[in-house]
Amino acid sequence: MSNGFFIDAHLHIGHIGAFFAPLVQQKDLLLAMDNAGISHSICMDHLTVFEGAGAGLEPLRDLFETSGRRVYYLGTFDPRRASACVDALKQAKDWPGFVGLKLHPSMHGVPADDPVYEQAWRFAADHNLAIMSHSWSASSYNPVQFLSTPERFEVQIRKFPQVHFVLGHAGGRGTGRHDAVRMANEYPCVYLDIAGDIFDYRLLEKLVQSVPVEKILYGSDFPWMDPRSRLSHVLLADIEDSIKGKILRGNAIRVYRLGVS
Amino acid sequence: MLEERIRRMTQERLELAKKLGFWDCNVWLGRPEGFPLAEEIPPERLSEVLDERLITGGLVSHWRGKTVSPQQGNESVLQDLRGQSKALFAVWTGLPLFPSELGPVPGSTETPKEVRGVRIFPKSHHFPMTDWCVGSLCEWLIDRRMPLFIWHTELDWPSMYQIAKTFPALSIVIETQVQKILYHTRPLFLLMRDCRNVLVELSNFVGQGFVEYAAREFGAHRLIFGSFLPVNDPLVAMGMILDAEIPEEQKALMAGGNLRRLANEVRK
Repeated sequence: MSNGFFIDAHLHIGHIGAFFAPLVQQKDLLLAMDNAGISHSICMDHLTVFEGAGAGLEPLRDLFETSGRRVYYLGTFDPRRASACVDALKQAKDWPGFVGLKLHPSMHGVPADDPVYEQAWRFAADHNLAIMSHSWSASSYNPVQFLSTPERFEVQIRKFPQVHFVLGHAGGRGTGRHDAVRMANEYPCVYLDIAGDIFDYRLLEKLVQSVPVEKILYGSDFPWMDPRSRLSHVLLADIEDSIKGKILRGNAIRVYRLGVS
Repeated sequence: MLEERIRRMTQERLELAKKLGFWDCNVWLGRPEGFPLAEEIPPERLSEVLDERLITGGLVSHWRGKTVSPQQGNESVLQDLRGQSKALFAVWTGLPLFPSELGPVPGSTETPKEVRGVRIFPKSHHFPMTDWCVGSLCEWLIDRRMPLFIWHTELDWPSMYQIAKTFPALSIVIETQVQKILYHTRPLFLLMRDCRNVLVELSNFVGQGFVEYAAREFGAHRLIFGSFLPVNDPLVAMGMILDAEIPEEQKALMAGGNLRRLANEVRK
């Protein structure tokens, strides 16, 4: 059993071909969480991120149980396989540990403002689930990122304002951040997670000055990023300890409605 | 209880960071290119910024060395380092030694004692990273025991391998910017296995368990703390060292020992 306190709101599990990642299995994830003082996490396995929830959410359900109910999970909606995904999400909606949907418009090649996503948002609204999506800034060296720029999500946010919606990576390292910050201020249920390599100088200090502190969630993007890379970024930031506590734990419990005291 | 734990974890990290004495090989002055959210550090604020992030010294580069010209960048970094209170030295931008170029570039002028490393930008400055093109610069660096720095985005791996093999006395620091090194760790680790003169800078060396893996496979003397200030926050790479599951002596090497050795070995 973990003696950790923090909640990593954005991580993955499973092998991935794009890079050398020797530590991607359940035991590696739990050890990484323990080493970083993380009690619970929100996980998406690489297989269903790439292919959608239709590829099977059972391994994530099992992970939740075998991890001692520490690793919650999201089901990915892949718009190219919408029907199979919705079927799998319906099956999973009452499973313990299932707390929301994941979108990745850049990976799936369908822009975030495409009407096909409405069924995912409606599903989340109907079942009181959160949505977390990859978001980034327009990028000269990674052009597909234009499919996930934050403002594209506003169409659905306006239709489903009650859905807790997390902009993963807080809009990325470029101009997408400005829209992400604007949206976190403008919409009551829009949040930002700091997973991934948005390692900007004084990121935390700037975010807490520009959005309500309840809108910021700690996340690592394990195994792409080691959770320890982000931990000191938060712990040693020039912000109050009470705010660090919200970022590192409290906000994720509320946004994802985790059954954690 | 949560706040108490946070306070304790923060304090432990602060104390260890001070004890390790971080030296940074990757601090930049001038206007950052390609990072619209990053703000230039005014030279007069450099010491204050480094103090705030627990950095006690290191090597400073200037963006103009890439974006304008090596000559302009090399002049600017020396000018901006004048009067700095910290133990700060310069990284110059280099070019192939032939055709010889005018102005302050390695090989065409006496190198000031503040210069403790040379960085090249083969892709941006349009020359191949091959023996026949940069070999004479490599020999020049070896003569002065001066390390070569290079962003992974500026090299091609076959050429890098060939250069590292051909010049085993040259210390080569592969830098993990300006995009993720993560996608290139397969060739990076092969290169480090085969070429003991290759070191890696840590600002974006953040894959799961990479610090422990590299320390175990290649040795802690091959890892060098760098922040990529003012684009990146030093606390990221610093955290990877502070929290690594390795002995404290190894952390001290990565935090600053290795870089101080490289900088001190340069023939003045």
